[in-house]
Amino acid sequence: MKLNILEKVKNVAKSISEFDVNKLKEADYKKLAKDFVYGKPHGERRLGDLYLPKTGLYKHREWRGLKDTFYYFNMIWLYNYAHMVTDIMKYGGLPAFVRGLWRYRWMGQTYLPVMHWFDRGLEGLRGEALRASAWHYRAMTSETIRQFMRMFAADVSNGGSKELHDHTLAHDETVWGGIFYPWRNNFDDVPLQMIPYFVTCHVNNHTVLHYIDAVQSIGLPGDPCPMCQAEAGIFVDDDMPDYYPAFVTSNEACDGSVATSVLQDWMINKPLFAMPQPMQFDDPLVLEHCEREIEECWKFIEEQTGQPFNFELLKEYLEKQNKLQEFEWEKWDVAANTNYYPINGVAQALYRIYQSQDGYRDIWAETDKKVRKILNKVVEKKIDSFPLTRHRVIAWSCAPLYYSNWCTWAYNCWGLNCIINRDSLMFDMTIRTDTYENCLHDMAVYHEWAPMRRMAVGGMHHIFELWDYMERFHCDMVMMYDQLQCKGMQGVHGLFEDEFRARNIHAIWMPHALPDKRVVSRAEIRQIVNDYMTTVMHEEPLDPSLLDFDDGESW
Amino acid sequence: MKKFFKKLIKLGLLVYGVLFTVFYFDLDGKLLFYVVEPFLVKHYDSVKRKDPLKAVYGMDKPNYEYDVK
Repeated sequence: MKLNILEKVKNVAKSISEFDVNKLKEADYKKLAKDFVYGKPHGERRLGDLYLPKTGLYKHREWRGLKDTFYYFNMIWLYNYAHMVTDIMKYGGLPAFVRGLWRYRWMGQTYLPVMHWFDRGLEGLRGEALRASAWHYRAMTSETIRQFMRMFAADVSNGGSKELHDHTLAHDETVWGGIFYPWRNNFDDVPLQMIPYFVTCHVNNHTVLHYIDAVQSIGLPGDPCPMCQAEAGIFVDDDMPDYYPAFVTSNEACDGSVATSVLQDWMINKPLFAMPQPMQFDDPLVLEHCEREIEECWKFIEEQTGQPFNFELLKEYLEKQNKLQEFEWEKWDVAANTNYYPINGVAQALYRIYQSQDGYRDIWAETDKKVRKILNKVVEKKIDSFPLTRHRVIAWSCAPLYYSNWCTWAYNCWGLNCIINRDSLMFDMTIRTDTYENCLHDMAVYHEWAPMRRMAVGGMHHIFELWDYMERFHCDMVMMYDQLQCKGMQGVHGLFEDEFRARNIHAIWMPHALPDKRVVSRAEIRQIVNDYMTTVMHEEPLDPSLLDFDDGESW
Repeated sequence: MKKFFKKLIKLGLLVYGVLFTVFYFDLDGKLLFYVVEPFLVKHYDSVKRKDPLKAVYGMDKPNYEYDVK
């Protein structure tokens, strides 16, 4: 220890003695002052130099100029840390939080480093893009806290309230929250895996590896979809709060999820209603079957809660959800037809998939209100939020959860601006509320268009919607996600290759294993993009410091 | 009273400065990465958990099917 300190002192003395006074004299103070006030322009930032090796931690956080640095500090860093505390107090209080933190691995490992998740997603952003994207992150954080606090407050296995437990329904994260709208006045619905699995992968991808290993430790082979593995692993590891008397499962994404449901049925041992999404849809008979299943599910909920189905309440919430969709269409319109869209690729994708799957919550409407103001401002003032865009990219199929912020890196490094993605486009519809029949019909369609089903394994018609959306959003490049353990999408790899060639489309295949960074690392993903951009596109990076860095141990 | 407010403002500025230092040098991230997470992981590894494989998978569960036609 003493030796280390001595060495450090010697190093400091050496660097002082070697300090070149001429450097000080030659420095361009005008430029330095400008960079201090406005931040360095894109191309001079060298964001990769800010990282500490392996960890992804920063030597220091980015200096974005006076205004944006202090916006980030005050309105993102301080604001979110403070609101994390107030959200905890609002949704159940400190004792429930501490009980959950001490008991559940996904809670402690994921919740605490949440500000680094903001940092990674918002790197390099300035002005209105920084503000609009950060509001999306804020909404997801708040809704995450609401969900886990409800879990802990109602967790009867860990000191929670029996009354809350009896008024909470659980469901698979791929069962749309809208199914439970008719009971929202007296019952809350909290997805089983949205926080313990989905959010953890984005915020701290260390956590999920434990669950994948847990399920494989009881004999599951390593090749099924790692999402299904991880979701089952949470139960194998006995790491799920007991916050509900009954639950609704689904077969989403695929047969792997059916197996997950079997394990859940075994290990939870509570009333379970299975509501699978059909693999092949676009068929009136299948749709009718799907409508009947939703109605059966409602009967199940009536039986479990003792409270009758309330169509007026369903309509009320669906109309609120329709408003969210209408604003989403406005956002898409700006993204598709202008250069002013102020939301970066990762904020757009995560917020949209979270919101559309979770169902209506007040936080989404509050956030949309804030974002609308920003959107109006950038359009009126014609502010180009991503001025160094070289290519307008559409991202297709299912994304690497441990590297959802690849688009932030790709814009900073190469000027690849991810305009829109499949995660956002799945639920391209509003739901009619004029009659019960129309409402049920549209809900069944929404249910069929679930994540992974419409974006991946739901048939050729849907995955080949890519060409229409490329045109609609004026994109000239595709980031083609290649989930190596998705048997469905692996089966159509060659068909996409043929189409890309025939249509002369630049497409980069991005291999990944959804939550498991051990299969394809983030550095490998970056290398594939780098190789394409240099060897095929013959382009130079905007920020060469971001080409190659080791973040293998980072969150 | 004036003195009190002066002190309060000074204290506020000091706290703000300290927080900005924590923010700018990513000290929160470093603390969480090097200290808090390893500590918590060690703790979670030691939490006693029930063995779910010992649960009986009953074959006589109710069948939740409903006539909705």
